[in-house]
Amino acid sequence: MLEVTKLVKQYGDLTAVDTISFGAREGSVFGLLGPNGAGKSTAINCISGLLSPTSGRISVSGHDISSDGKAARSLLGVVPQELALYEDLPAIENLRYWGMAYGLRGQALADRVRDVLHHIGLADRAKDLPKEFSGGMKRRLNFGCGVVHKPKVLLLDEPTVGVDPQSRARLFDLVEAERDAGACVLYTTHYMEEAERLCDSLAIIDHGKLIAQGTVAELKSQLDARDALQLTGTFPAPGTTDAIQSLIASIADLEIISQDDNTLTLTLSGASHHLPDIFQAISSAGGNITETSLRSPNLETLFLLLTGKELRE
Amino acid sequence: MNMRFVSASVKKDLARWWQDSTAILIWLGIPFLIGGLITSMVDGQSGGTPTGVLLIADLDDTVLSGLVAGAYAQDQLGELISVEQVTLDEGEKRISSGDASGFLTIPAGFQDAFLNESPVILTLKTNPSQTILPGIIQDVTEILLDLGFYAQQLLGDEIARIQAAGLGSVPSDAFVSGIAVDVQNRLQTVAPKLFPPIIDIEIVEPPPTEPQPDMALLFLPGIILMAIMFSANGLASDYWLERDTGTLRRLVSAPAMLSSFVAGKAAAALTVIGLIAGITLFVGFAYHGIGWQKFASSLTWVSLAGVGFFAWFAALQMLFSNRRAASLVSSVLLFPLLMAGGSFFPLAALPEWIAAIGRLSPNGFVADKLTIELTAASAWSIELNNWLIMFVMTLSGLAICGWRLKTGFARR
Repeated sequence: MLEVTKLVKQYGDLTAVDTISFGAREGSVFGLLGPNGAGKSTAINCISGLLSPTSGRISVSGHDISSDGKAARSLLGVVPQELALYEDLPAIENLRYWGMAYGLRGQALADRVRDVLHHIGLADRAKDLPKEFSGGMKRRLNFGCGVVHKPKVLLLDEPTVGVDPQSRARLFDLVEAERDAGACVLYTTHYMEEAERLCDSLAIIDHGKLIAQGTVAELKSQLDARDALQLTGTFPAPGTTDAIQSLIASIADLEIISQDDNTLTLTLSGASHHLPDIFQAISSAGGNITETSLRSPNLETLFLLLTGKELRE
Repeated sequence: MNMRFVSASVKKDLARWWQDSTAILIWLGIPFLIGGLITSMVDGQSGGTPTGVLLIADLDDTVLSGLVAGAYAQDQLGELISVEQVTLDEGEKRISSGDASGFLTIPAGFQDAFLNESPVILTLKTNPSQTILPGIIQDVTEILLDLGFYAQQLLGDEIARIQAAGLGSVPSDAFVSGIAVDVQNRLQTVAPKLFPPIIDIEIVEPPPTEPQPDMALLFLPGIILMAIMFSANGLASDYWLERDTGTLRRLVSAPAMLSSFVAGKAAAALTVIGLIAGITLFVGFAYHGIGWQKFASSLTWVSLAGVGFFAWFAALQMLFSNRRAASLVSSVLLFPLLMAGGSFFPLAALPEWIAAIGRLSPNGFVADKLTIELTAASAWSIELNNWLIMFVMTLSGLAICGWRLKTGFARR
């Protein structure tokens, strides 16, 4: 349904998206996961036609976004990160207008607008102006404008940023409904829990590059059920490194993920049982621990292991 | 171009702009306010001939002094000067306070001095805050004195006889008829010298000219253009508003053509500008009594020009990198254009070289042609080439808007 092949987007010397490839099928949610500035929005803007790729190919149901842009765009629905609404136009008119922009008309348009208003829970506020809506209601209308034409591929660019938990849960339901209706959903987020809940498969992106891709289960399996242990304090090199290396003989799957003078990230199984040994080794090497963070295996841990940094950094 | 989407865009923009109907009222209100002030000022100036007040303190109170006082109120002079008899004190007081154009004092013994050819001083004080009327009074006074001198030279004997007979008593019929005959003979003697028919004056009537429109009518095109320019500039900022609200980005992701979007916005602008032009023209036509057969042509011309201004203001604003700079430059440009284009003073009333420069400005061009249409004998008097210029200007402005949307403005 959606195929991205060796996509590159450069701004002068800066490579915002660096040769990424992925595919998403209909009736599924594909997550594009990464921290802020990783290149997620740039990638989604290339797919939606807002940006021209430097190189690579994007295909929507076989239509190339560059050479057959109009046909490709007619199959796309976009829910941008920022609200994109006419706040001085009634909600129902917003939906009608964007429906017409995608070629709907007549009774089909009227029926679809009515359905979407019910779907997003704004049927009783249809004639009100969005500027009178709460933030969550605006988000739902923003979503409705993106799906009013029943897109085959729905692009959601961090749709829950700044949204309260109740509205977020409502948006999740809306996304799942689109997926169940057969749409291919591309969902970008830097919230790991959203990706775990919604996505059938996902790709992790950092500094414009794909660093992991697969189903959630496949990605979790890369962790081998290991915990992530992040220590903050003073860790003089090479003494600390040598001390940890000396523990590897007794802790089989212990691995140093990253290390600098103030942060040391380790991965190992059953970390809680080995904390005394690790603290002792670091102390004997002249190190000093001020903070300890222990995480059980999840996508957040995977990102930490893959990049050596927090997803929200 | 997708006409259905054009239509949807028109409805969308009209519905949105209607929410901000205050702006439309302001666009209408400012020119009406300025126009009303200008019209009332111009009408006040052309309402009648200015008149001056001449105060006369007649201390002599004789027949001759009465004739002098009455001379100022004769014929056309009487339409310019209103004579009031005052006392010396009242006259001094009023001329000092600027309450008159001049104050003439005729001293006691004036008549006797005149008849005896003795020196006498008439005192004329004029109001320095006025320029024309005191000058007229002074000139008339000097002419009267000259007239008295020549009367003395010409009719000295007759005057002496009258003086000898005494003016206090009623003269006999024989005396009056004798004096009349002598005066008649004297005038007949000098008539060939005074009125020699040497110059044959042929009065040639100037060729009939077109009646000149009044000043208030000449202000009308500039005032209407002011309303149009304000509204065009205000509506043009809607592109920036759409960009800031993200709807332009959403539009670029849709299959709808940007050209349809631009056409829809232009058509919506045409509707609003046409409404404003229609209202201002209607008021102008009704006030000045302009023939209604010119209404459709004037409205079409102004509305087309308004869309052209809308397109060019929008194109200009889309060249800037932020909304504040775009709005500032656009507004800063607006007022010199209004000034140059005759919105504050009609081009027809300016010196030709200044008017020629003004007509080079876009709104000056439009106002000039509208003036032609309003003052011509028949409707549709604007030449075809001017309509073509306007069409090309409008279409090129819209093309630049479309080009800017495609080349990045809508994608940021």
